[in-house]
Amino acid sequence: MSDHIVFDDVSKFYGEILGVNRVNLSIPPGVTSLVGPNGSGKTTLMNLMTALVRPTRGRIRVLGLDPAEPEKLFKVVGYSTQFDSFPKGLTGFQFVYSYLRLGGYDSQTADQLAWRAIERVNLTDAATRNAAGYSKGMRQRMRLAQALSHNPRVLVLDEPLNGLDPLARAEMIALFRSVATEGCHVIISSHILHEVDAISDQVVLLSNGYVVAEGAIHSVRNEIREHPAQVLVRCDRPRDLAAKMMQSEHIIEIRVHNDERGLLIKTRDADNFYLMLNRLALNGIEIESVAPADDDVNSVYEYLIGNDEVVR
Amino acid sequence: MTQLWWTQVKSVIRLEMKKTFVARRGLWIYIVALLPLLIFFAQSVITSRQREHSLQIASQGEKALTYQDLLAISSGMTSDEVIARLGKPGVRRQWAVAHIHYERYQYSDGAEDLSLKLADGKVFDVRVGHVRNADDDSIAFAGVFQFFYLRLAIFFGCLGVFMNLFRGEILDKSLHFYFLAPIRRDVLMVGKFLAGLIATCVIFVTSELLQIIAFIWSYGPNMREIYLYQNHGLANSAAYLGVTALACLGYGAFFLAAGMLFKNPIVPAAAILIWETMNPFLPALLMKFSVIYYLKSLCPVDIPTPPGTPPLLALLVSNPDPVSAPVAILGIVILALVVLYVSSFQVRRMEINYTTE
Repeated sequence: MSDHIVFDDVSKFYGEILGVNRVNLSIPPGVTSLVGPNGSGKTTLMNLMTALVRPTRGRIRVLGLDPAEPEKLFKVVGYSTQFDSFPKGLTGFQFVYSYLRLGGYDSQTADQLAWRAIERVNLTDAATRNAAGYSKGMRQRMRLAQALSHNPRVLVLDEPLNGLDPLARAEMIALFRSVATEGCHVIISSHILHEVDAISDQVVLLSNGYVVAEGAIHSVRNEIREHPAQVLVRCDRPRDLAAKMMQSEHIIEIRVHNDERGLLIKTRDADNFYLMLNRLALNGIEIESVAPADDDVNSVYEYLIGNDEVVR
Repeated sequence: MTQLWWTQVKSVIRLEMKKTFVARRGLWIYIVALLPLLIFFAQSVITSRQREHSLQIASQGEKALTYQDLLAISSGMTSDEVIARLGKPGVRRQWAVAHIHYERYQYSDGAEDLSLKLADGKVFDVRVGHVRNADDDSIAFAGVFQFFYLRLAIFFGCLGVFMNLFRGEILDKSLHFYFLAPIRRDVLMVGKFLAGLIATCVIFVTSELLQIIAFIWSYGPNMREIYLYQNHGLANSAAYLGVTALACLGYGAFFLAAGMLFKNPIVPAAAILIWETMNPFLPALLMKFSVIYYLKSLCPVDIPTPPGTPPLLALLVSNPDPVSAPVAILGIVILALVVLYVSSFQVRRMEINYTTE
């Protein structure tokens, strides 16, 4: 069985409206974030890999499984959707328990798994209340419990941090990371870029139904040639360093920090820049720290997509 | 595998049952199902009161009378002749208008009433209470069953229940709960169908049973005995219950399929209703793809068309080409299975896109 989620030339049209077009992806285990503005195709991609919608063209395989076979797919996939409604009349516990029973678990196992999942999302106290009375955050967490309940190998989470307070967000992020370190795929869509940065091993950037970029954030950033890399250097003699750096052709701009202890350098060739910096450090300039200033999802997003509808 | 499917089907039924029975949007189904019961219950109450009234008149009369005694009185007889034959009446009223002395006598044999009006001592108006005829009553019951209960109440009740099995979930935006579970879509469909079938059978078969009880209750003990055991009443009752269950099966399958194909229930409801109504006018082959074709053959009492009925209406009422009971039962089961088989392809193709609903 393959350990990747593969989209092979997948397109989805809703009538004449484009959902996603010509998507080719191979998503490895770890946390993968789908990032893009509203309508960019994040939810469509998630719905395609869980067969809630079917591709107009192309082929999808989730760990080698055809999404059109839910009886096999959802043994290994858990999906926490954005749909904010629960079957009528169920308590939170019944919601998770019934889901497990539908999967064929016996009553005792379903009971144990349901409670374990509810504990993981810290909702034990509210589990016996009718889910219709839950707050948005509680509903979000209960959906997460349902998705986690059968210990899936692929966890698909559509805007999983929406409606959560900061403490719950931190807890959920830790949970996603822990699930990912167990070897699972965690596919997350989010608008909140700094959280995506904190969570993700790789990102898929989407815009207007197209995949704009994919991969580890650093690799994606390096691919963006038209925007020079920005590096923040802290050192004891910033002006000397700036003078030496300016002799190089790939340096575009250097700004000295107000405290006279640092520089913001823009370069067209990050690899050459780091080699040069190493040489200068050996020649007596004491470098305290070097940190990329735009090697994050935030910057990558802004360079590739623009700054619409994102929360930083 | 079969064991797993059965476990999953039971889980779906458990989840659906509560929703189907107590859904607010399904309240009207109970009203429609219970409407004929109200009619037969009211008839039963009225008949019981009439019987009590007749017994009271009979007990107040001077003589114990028979039905033949009541029929012996005719217009023109004098009050003395009447009293000589029937004794003093159980109820006697007198009044005068324009110097004419009027009287009204009431007699009863305990079941049927005789009402006489006399003017200046001579009978001028004779009325004998209509004899309740089990055959006529059976036809009346069959009329209510075939033309209201079967074609409207069960038809629209099944529409309400079965179309909502998928369509209702889409409107509530909760269908993804099922579609994200490791269960085959066709197994899910079977579970939902069985849940709908159980719900409609419980509602409509129970209502039919209560209607039969209310209908039989309106007879006196002797007539009840005759109706049940000498007039095929028991067999007819069993047939009505069976036809009701088969109607739920047949219409249920059609409306389940329609619920997956159409967003607006009015369109399939109208189409199926027209198809069912047009059944007598369809070619022989197409007739067989109709639920009512088989149900009509299973209905135990034929409704006669009175002389002078327009031919078109007579054709709607009559069953010119009935099939035997085993063929009818098999036909409706096969028809339902074919529709469900076709629906299983549709459910596998279904997508969730609540925003376009």
